[in-house]
Amino acid sequence: MEIGFIGLGLMGRPMALHLARVGHRLHLWARRPATLEPFREVNAHAHVSAAEVARHAKIVFTMVADAPDVEQVCLGEGGITEGAGPGAVVVDMSTIAPAAARDIGVRLAARGIEFLDAPVSGGEVGAINAALTIMVGGKPEVYETILPLFEILGKSVTLIGDSGAGQVAKACNQILTGVGVAALAEAFNFARKSGVDAARVREALMGGFAYSKILENHGQRMLDRNFRPGFKSWMHQKDLRIVMEEAHRLGLMLPSAAATAQMFNAMVGFGLGEEDSIAMLKLLETMSGQA
Amino acid sequence: MRLGFIGLGAMGQPMALRLLRAGHSLFVWARRPERLQALIEAGALGCRNPAEVAASAELVFTMVTADADVTGIAFGPGGLLHGFAPGGIHVDMSTISPQTTRRLAQRWAERGIAMLDAPVSGGVEAANSAKLAIMVGGEARTLARARPLFEILGATVVHVGGNGAGQVAKACNQMVMVAAIEACAEAMRLAAASGVAAERVLRAVMAGAAGSRVLEVFGGRMTARDFAAGVEARLHHKDFGILMAEAQRLACPLPVAAQVAQQLDALMALGWGGEDSASLLKVLEAAHA
Repeated sequence: MEIGFIGLGLMGRPMALHLARVGHRLHLWARRPATLEPFREVNAHAHVSAAEVARHAKIVFTMVADAPDVEQVCLGEGGITEGAGPGAVVVDMSTIAPAAARDIGVRLAARGIEFLDAPVSGGEVGAINAALTIMVGGKPEVYETILPLFEILGKSVTLIGDSGAGQVAKACNQILTGVGVAALAEAFNFARKSGVDAARVREALMGGFAYSKILENHGQRMLDRNFRPGFKSWMHQKDLRIVMEEAHRLGLMLPSAAATAQMFNAMVGFGLGEEDSIAMLKLLETMSGQA
Repeated sequence: MRLGFIGLGAMGQPMALRLLRAGHSLFVWARRPERLQALIEAGALGCRNPAEVAASAELVFTMVTADADVTGIAFGPGGLLHGFAPGGIHVDMSTISPQTTRRLAQRWAERGIAMLDAPVSGGVEAANSAKLAIMVGGEARTLARARPLFEILGATVVHVGGNGAGQVAKACNQMVMVAAIEACAEAMRLAAASGVAAERVLRAVMAGAAGSRVLEVFGGRMTARDFAAGVEARLHHKDFGILMAEAQRLACPLPVAAQVAQQLDALMALGWGGEDSASLLKVLEAAHA
C-alpha cells in the first residue's frame, strides 16, 4: 500500500518504520531533511511537499506538535489538500484540541477528504514496541479501512465516536496521567519529608487500592531518580493547556487538573521542561526546602 | 479634538458622553445601530463603519469585549486601517490579552499609527462618575497626547510600560479582585454553614485587617442576595481565560487564580454568566445539599 507519513519526530519515526517493515511503501515529507535519514534503508520516497505526498498516497498519517502544525500540513500552502484526490484519508495522530480536530475534519470534508483523529498514548517506548493505545474519532466506515494499519502500530485500538472524540479521550488520558503523576510525587515527597522510605511505601501500596501503572512505572523511576524522558514535561504542559482551554470553552470545572496544570507551568518555568513529567518530584522537593 | 469612539455598551456609553460634553467632536459607530441613539441626540456623528470613524478622527477609542472584536474593528473589512491617516492614534480601552495587544501595536506601527492599550477598572459606576482607574501601555509621547482625554474619563492614569503593559496590569487587577470575591464568597458560605449571620461576620471583618473594597461591595451584594449585574460574571470568566493562557505561555504558575478560574467555569455551567460575580457564592451553595 502507498502510505504518506508526515512528522518523523520521536514518535513518528518508529511508527512510520513499523509501517514500512510490514511491506508498505512510504511517502515522506519533513521540514528538516535530517529526519529522513533513518528511512534510507527502507522502501520510502522523500517528497518536496505535503501536497506531493498526498499525490502519491491515498492515506496520509500526520504526527506533529500542535493544531497549527496539523492545519498547516493539511490546509496550508503546499499542504495535503493541494495534492489529494477524492477519497483520500488523513489520519492525524497528533495530540491537539478536540475543537481544532473537528474544524480540520469539516474543512477537509468540504474538499472530499476523509479525516480521522487518532491520538495515541504510550510514549516513545510504546511507539518503538508497536504497543500504542490508539483512540479514534471519525466515521466507522473510514475507521474500518484504516484499522489494519492501526493494528500495526498499537495493541489497543478503540473507535471512541465522531470526529474529535479521539482527542476527547486523549484529553481524559492526560488528565488522569497528569494528576496521577502529581499525586504520586506528592505522596513520595510526603513520605520522604516524614522520614519514611518511599520505596517501602510504594511496595506496600502496590498490593492495595492505590495500585496503578503510574505507581508501578513512574514510581520506580522516581525512586531511581531517572528523570530522562519518557514523556517531556513541556509536552504534558501543552496537553493540559488543551484540556483547560476546552474546559474554559465548555464552562466546565476541572479543579484538580487546573492545579496540576499550574505545577507543570512551574516545572517549565523552573527549567525542567525537557525532563520527564516525573521531575514534578524535584519541584516539590525544592519547594519543601530539601532540593 | 476630533475623536472616534467604537463600543457603546454599558461602559463605553457614559465614557463617550463625557468626551462629548467636554467639548470634543465625536464620531461613533456601533454594530447595533440602536446603541448610537443617545450619542447622536447629544451631538455625536454616526458613521457607517470603523473606517469612516478613523477617516474623521485623529484619535479613535475602542471599548469592546474580546480580542477578536478589537482585531476585527482595527484590521477587518471596513476597519480602522482603511480610514486612518498616518499619525493616527488607536486607544483600546477593552480588556484583551497582552499578546494580542502587542501584535496589534506592531501592525499599527508598520503603518505609522500609534496605539495605546488603556484598560480600565472601576466598572459602570466609575465610568458614570468619571472615576475610572486607567492602566496605560504604549509610548510616553503617545500617552502625552491622550492624557487630557483620559483625565476626562478617570481619576487615576498610570503609565505602566510599553504596548501590552496596560493589559498586564489589568490582568493582575482581575486576578486580585476576583480571587478576593471568591474568598469573600467562601467566608460568607462558611459563616452560613456554621449557622452564623453572614452580615454580622461581614461587619466585624470589615473593621479589621481583612477589610477591603471587594468585601464591602461584593460582601454587601452577597448578604443582600443581590446578584443583578454590576459586572457580568461572564466577563470575568473571559478575563480568566486570558490570564491562564498567559500563565501557560510564560510558564508562570498561578495556583490560586487557576482555582478561581474553575469556580468561574462552574458558574458558567450553572447558567449564571449574565449575573454579577457575587454569584460565586451560589456556586458554593450549589455544592451543599
